[in-house]
Amino acid sequence: MVGQLAEYINALSTQLVKNKVETHIVTYHDFLTGAVEEASGVKIVRVANPVRTHISVLTWDLTLNQEVERAAASIYYQANKQIDLIDVYDWHFIPAAVTLKNALDIPFVYSVESLEDHRSPTADTPYSMSIKSIEWLGFYEAKKVSVKSEWMRNEVARIYNVPKEKIEVISPNTNSWVKDLLELYKTVAGGLSSQ
Amino acid sequence: MKHELSVMMFTWEFPPRVIGGISPHVFFLSKSLAKNGVKVYVITCDFPGTPAHEVIDGVDVYRIDSYKNPAPDFATWVYLMNLNMQKEAAAIVNKLADKIDVFHAHDWLVATAGIGLKHVFRKPLLVTMHSTEMGRRDGLHTNTEKMIHETEAWLTYEAWKVICCSDYMVSHVRWAFGLPEDKLVMVPNGVNSHVYEGIEKEDLKSFRAKFALPEEKIVLYVGRLVYEKGIHILINAVPKVLEKVDAKFIIVGSGYMKEQLLNIVRSMRSEYKVLFLGFVDDETLLRLQKCADVSVVPSLFEPFGIVALEAMAAKSPVVVSDTGGLSEIVDHDLTGVKAYPNNPDSLAWGITKILLDENHKSHIRENAYRKVREKYDWEKIAQQTKQIYEAVLGEYSKSFWA
Repeated sequence: MVGQLAEYINALSTQLVKNKVETHIVTYHDFLTGAVEEASGVKIVRVANPVRTHISVLTWDLTLNQEVERAAASIYYQANKQIDLIDVYDWHFIPAAVTLKNALDIPFVYSVESLEDHRSPTADTPYSMSIKSIEWLGFYEAKKVSVKSEWMRNEVARIYNVPKEKIEVISPNTNSWVKDLLELYKTVAGGLSSQ
Repeated sequence: MKHELSVMMFTWEFPPRVIGGISPHVFFLSKSLAKNGVKVYVITCDFPGTPAHEVIDGVDVYRIDSYKNPAPDFATWVYLMNLNMQKEAAAIVNKLADKIDVFHAHDWLVATAGIGLKHVFRKPLLVTMHSTEMGRRDGLHTNTEKMIHETEAWLTYEAWKVICCSDYMVSHVRWAFGLPEDKLVMVPNGVNSHVYEGIEKEDLKSFRAKFALPEEKIVLYVGRLVYEKGIHILINAVPKVLEKVDAKFIIVGSGYMKEQLLNIVRSMRSEYKVLFLGFVDDETLLRLQKCADVSVVPSLFEPFGIVALEAMAAKSPVVVSDTGGLSEIVDHDLTGVKAYPNNPDSLAWGITKILLDENHKSHIRENAYRKVREKYDWEKIAQQTKQIYEAVLGEYSKSFWA
């Protein structure tokens, strides 16, 4: 666990399985790698980075993406290509989601937890700009963007010029949280052809 | 549905984008494969004034936007470029609907794109290792170098077969990444000797006069001005050669050592004998190679040594350091002269030997030219490569991915 995202995904995936959504999670761990199925029915694959030495979080992230992509592709083929959508959290695994979309026609939702512009508000270093360009790619390629507050919806629209109708506010603090999310998934899972 | 064998190549350089030897390698390999009935798609980086898609002699070339993402350093740029390469190649393969049989990556510069597409489309990946970070840097000294080395190791791990251009590289790559012997295969690099035929009968006297006095012999170096190429060894050999022969040293190419080399030349007061030309166009290069009385390849690390082959094809006698792929290309006193690596005295001896002995010189030239035509012909190399693709596809057809 690094931030609050781990607990959120745990709660969310448990809810999704309860609502009969086949849920696979692809995530990172340095040594507890491989596939496991939780008691809740959530299937998890953890991958490590094959490249151990790095010069920044960026190079670590970009190489790790290939393993995330490999694991996701493997789930896709094992499920007889029946994966309806990918929900990707923050910029880290946007590269994998983008390739999977372009290669296999699996649409994705970009779920925004935070933005580089807020994390490093004054940073215009090549490093920060690079992360911002990955966030931009995510917004451009995503079929829908999911945020947790109206404020974030405005920020995404303001910073990245994303059309507001592409951004859905789904707050985990409301009773309709899971229902709203399933609703969003349904519109996205229509496939790329309905875009 | 059965279709012709098709391959998608990944390369960070393809003409007119030329940085090192990979660009001409992929260019000639692709064209020759196309001639041998292989459908080739090349995915490469963009270059000013070139189209995003074109067909060159039957080869489909796609150029991707390689500077889409800002990057803090070269290595990060490589991974980000791979992100875009992978994305665009994914869309192309998707549109072609299962028509790609194999992916073929050239060096770590396209590692993550190759690895990623292998898994999303479940097709075999081949890699040609043109060089290694260990060899380029003579060891691994920084985190960047270690990271690149580990990326190379990962790429060779993911590859079905690893192609190397010389026996030396086969053993080097095998050792560097701990690969099983049957994973490696040697296919030599080729040289296009036809390009020199066009200027065979041209009178180059006035062209030569632009670079050297009539009484000066021309000693030619072609290559990047970087440590591994040993250009500093040649520069240190300059006064030793000048003691015996009047010569002009012509240095073609650029690199981070340029200022340093200029300083050495100035300190030896040999500015008027050493000419740094930087990059030159193909026409000039071909003629320089034709005019050269001797071509020198003083590398400290040389996976293959294409420059030596080109000189041999241009009928310019070569002096090479006895290392890596150069050791295999040149047979001492038969197709060239070998000098001890990292040794200016030995290099000067080799250069002087050729410049002072006209008979020996013409003997070497003829032998070298014959060897190039027999062994390093693109047609034969394409056939060998096609056979490797077919063998890999045969194995693949029995795998659960097929």
